[in-house]
Amino acid sequence: MNNHLSEDQITEWMLGTRDDFVSRHLATCHACSVAVEELRSTISCFRDSIHATAQRDNSFWREQQLAIRERVSVRNWYPLHWAWVAAMAMVLIAAIFLTRTANPPQNKATEDADKALLQEVQGDLVREVPEALAPAVLIAEERNEILTNKDTQQMKSTLRKRREIK
Amino acid sequence: MVQNERAAVLIPVQEKAGLGMTALDDFTPLVRSHQRRIYRALLGMVRDPDAAETLTQECFLKAYQRRASFRGEASVGVWLLKIAVNLARDHRRSRLREFWHRLSSSSEDVADLEQRLPDPHASQERVLLGREEVATVWSAVEKLSSQQRAIFILRFVEEMSLEEIAEVTSLKVGTVKTHLFRAVRAIRQRLKGGRAGE
Repeated sequence: MNNHLSEDQITEWMLGTRDDFVSRHLATCHACSVAVEELRSTISCFRDSIHATAQRDNSFWREQQLAIRERVSVRNWYPLHWAWVAAMAMVLIAAIFLTRTANPPQNKATEDADKALLQEVQGDLVREVPEALAPAVLIAEERNEILTNKDTQQMKSTLRKRREIK
Repeated sequence: MVQNERAAVLIPVQEKAGLGMTALDDFTPLVRSHQRRIYRALLGMVRDPDAAETLTQECFLKAYQRRASFRGEASVGVWLLKIAVNLARDHRRSRLREFWHRLSSSSEDVADLEQRLPDPHASQERVLLGREEVATVWSAVEKLSSQQRAIFILRFVEEMSLEEIAEVTSLKVGTVKTHLFRAVRAIRQRLKGGRAGE
């Protein structure tokens, strides 16, 4: 039958759109009023099933309040906690920096020792012969001197002899 | 009324700034007065009591974090529902999480929602018929998009006006009506299909 309400008209009616024609039709047409009523009843059952499931005892809601409270406090604490850690780290870094720049007089002895060491190293670098061979060098020098003296004496004696021959 | 609600949310912000009490103490009454509705709406949208419970907590947590952004243009209830709808949409998008949840879930079976009918004194036939119809509506609602589902739940479970739903979903009233129209038509067609198969 084409005289019944269309799907769209029934849906519009369900959404609360009131139309005189639909209203008059529903008052006279049993089939359409049953269709509308069935849809309304089904949706109502659906709503009631959710409402029934959402009915929880008081302990459930209390536990949920506590859980929310706990989670909110944890979130609240975390930024503070990190702010604390950051502040402490800054203080530590500042302290290290300040102690390093404030102590130069206490390190004078160390600086002198460093200077002496550097001079020693410089001396080692300038030296022709390694320190370990220094005694050998001394012996060699003494030998050369003795040999030189010996040669000089020999030359002198030779010259003297030649003069005597002349 | 709206101004009072705005004050209820903003007072904690001012107090946190150094006026004395902790912000948390003032937030708890807000949770107490809205948690049932938020849980129920989320239950309709995600169809999982465990997930609805977790998302309700998330909703209030987000509300607490964003309390400074509440401008009082709508009621606190609408503002909270707006957060809840977004959370439900994100939850639905996370298919992987849903998959693992189903594997490990010890929660109440989602089918239980279909079994819960308000009138225990109804006839056996009526109860069975009602359960079947509710199951059909659920299966139709499941197939709706997140937005259509949220709109359908807000209209027919929370019984909100189109204007309020428009506020919650940030859509125009006309768009909300179009979504509702499609949702109801889809459900009606499914119901008709179910009856034709009997």
